[in-house]
Amino acid sequence: MTILIKQATLLSPNSKHHRKKRDLYIKNGRIEKIGASLRVKATKTIEAKGLCVSNGWKDIFADFCDPGFEHKEDIQSGIATAKAGGYTGVCIIPNTEPTISSKSQVDYIIKQCAQSGVDLIPIGAVSKNIEGQQLAEMYDMSHTGAKVFSDGKKSIQSAGLLLKALQYLKTIDATLIQIPDTTSISANGQMNEGEQSTALGMTGIPAIAEHLQIQRDITLCEYAESKIHFTGISTKKSVEIINAAKKRGVNVSCSVSPYHLIYTDKNLASYDANFKIFPPLRSEQEKKYLVKALKEGKIDGIASHHTPQDIDAKKVEFAYAKEGLISLQYILPILIEAGLNAEEIAIAAQGAYKIVTGTSATIEEGAKADLTLFSLTGTSEVSKETNHSKSYNTPLQGATVKGQIIGTILGNQNNIL
Amino acid sequence: MNKGNVISVDNLLGIKDLTAADINLILDTAVGFKDILQRPIKKVPTLRDTTIVNLFYENSTRTKISFELAEKRLGADIVNFAASSSSLKKGETLIDTVQNILSMKVDMVVMRHSASGAPHFLSNHIDAAIVNAGDGTNEHPTQALLDSFSMREAQGNLKGKKVAIIGDISHSRVALSNIFCLKKLGAKVVVCGPPTLIPKHIQSLGVDVSYNVQETLEWCDIANVLRIQLERQDMPLFSSLREYALQFGIDKKMLDGLKKEITLMHPGPINRGVELSSDAADSAHSIILDQVQNGVAVRMAVLFLLAQKNKSLADSLA
Repeated sequence: MTILIKQATLLSPNSKHHRKKRDLYIKNGRIEKIGASLRVKATKTIEAKGLCVSNGWKDIFADFCDPGFEHKEDIQSGIATAKAGGYTGVCIIPNTEPTISSKSQVDYIIKQCAQSGVDLIPIGAVSKNIEGQQLAEMYDMSHTGAKVFSDGKKSIQSAGLLLKALQYLKTIDATLIQIPDTTSISANGQMNEGEQSTALGMTGIPAIAEHLQIQRDITLCEYAESKIHFTGISTKKSVEIINAAKKRGVNVSCSVSPYHLIYTDKNLASYDANFKIFPPLRSEQEKKYLVKALKEGKIDGIASHHTPQDIDAKKVEFAYAKEGLISLQYILPILIEAGLNAEEIAIAAQGAYKIVTGTSATIEEGAKADLTLFSLTGTSEVSKETNHSKSYNTPLQGATVKGQIIGTILGNQNNIL
Repeated sequence: MNKGNVISVDNLLGIKDLTAADINLILDTAVGFKDILQRPIKKVPTLRDTTIVNLFYENSTRTKISFELAEKRLGADIVNFAASSSSLKKGETLIDTVQNILSMKVDMVVMRHSASGAPHFLSNHIDAAIVNAGDGTNEHPTQALLDSFSMREAQGNLKGKKVAIIGDISHSRVALSNIFCLKKLGAKVVVCGPPTLIPKHIQSLGVDVSYNVQETLEWCDIANVLRIQLERQDMPLFSSLREYALQFGIDKKMLDGLKKEITLMHPGPINRGVELSSDAADSAHSIILDQVQNGVAVRMAVLFLLAQKNKSLADSLA
């Protein structure tokens, strides 16, 4: 199988072809040749208006609900969703039933993604069954293929446990991912605490619930001389605390969910449960800052926080609705709406993965083909028919969105749409 | 927009959605209904062809009785539904329950629910007119309307009047609806209570905050004292009822010591000896029982105006 990609803008900061318009010839899953204009015959030739080719996009925080909640998503529908969204790699959070807290669970996921065109990287649980009490068998899981560790949607509250986990992970040089939240402060909260929560009569989640834990965890990480990544950060202050720690040499990084870049707590005015997410949507000011910080590299990248929920989990009173939105298929249009250009999108869509795993694809001759092909031109309709996830919980329902994913290539597997 | 004597909304979800003209229209209409309630025959056939379901997902005594009376006085057919006797416990969703009831041809739904926004959610899924009888910690619009009606009776036009809302502001839908209503009518509002019971961003609604009940009483023309909602607190927000009463409780001596006569209100039920002493609640300052009486008239006005709106809408479509 050979593929020729014509006149694409290459976006790969670690390549000498970065920002250049090139032809790409791929043979047997490897990039055979890169040139200004290649004259080769290929089984498949790809040309498209405004075509950009970047390192394959990788997500670090998606829920595929399998095993346990397969009516919302399963590994195969998750893979289809990832491909449609331009992703060649996805780290799956461990909040399944049973949880990913043993090597057999890690193995279950890895076996299912073989030859699928998407690398699935299970995130091993930090605590046994995500109960926040005992350390899970992280070494065992890492030998089976778990590269990062987290209790996923459940933020680790015990400082003692987190410290031990950070120390323990040093042996295998792995990063711990936390959603920052002090639950004794955010308890019962349903949305951002602010003018909007006051006007809607809903219990608010103050931003300090996030800040306090980031500060605490950085202190623990600094003491343990380990690595921590905060995902789902939602405020300017969080970015500032993290960047100040980075400056003094702490191994800390962060990512933001896509929806925090385009929506605010004002979207909750009609109590639409499709805007119920955690961490909560904050103010317009915070939203604008997060976009700016992502562009400037103060936020390391995007984490999808892809959270499928069936209709019954959302079509109820706001207080009873489950949190989370699907997003993996819609990262490109969301980032375009947030005002990112093609290069910023390409960096944001893999930046968090690069930092938490320490690995990254590149576009060089001889390298394994790990590519995302996309264009900022064109539009598409978000509909139940075009939606690949088993769930359809997104505020984008029925919207016309900008940009197109042309396809993905991962080794011998290609998914040209 | 309010055109003459037609209300601008199809449902009464909250005061937030009403214009000042809507509020005045309801209050003015209620004056007429209050007159009717003084007559030997207290009934009019205005809603004779209307069926109303009272859907109470949360316990209520006075609001439910008040709505029922208002509906009966207007000649409506009514169906009562309480969570304890309902299919809710069998796991049926709100939408399913309401659609089942509506398929039996019900025109209006009066709903109380423990979740903020529940009536808003429902209004997006059903056609019947909805009257919010209290949703979580969000709004209790008819309570605010009857409070403003009672204030207007006691003190005239509310523009520029100083109203204090004292007690648990955080967990009170009465407080929020009162704030919206009073601000729209041009009153000045101060909320007073312990800082743990006042939302941090309450000033964004255009009210001032005080932690001193004596100073607040000295400032205000009207004090609307709220019930301390022990049932809504799952985290310690004050140390004991005794200490609350000592720090924020109001008694007759305090009222008598003020330089001017103020009006004392309470939406009920009163925790006697906590937020109000008995001698204050039963004093000449108090219009608490007037509030209860006015509640029926105000609810009649709301039901009448919404039915009229929906009828004129239906007529225009026919």
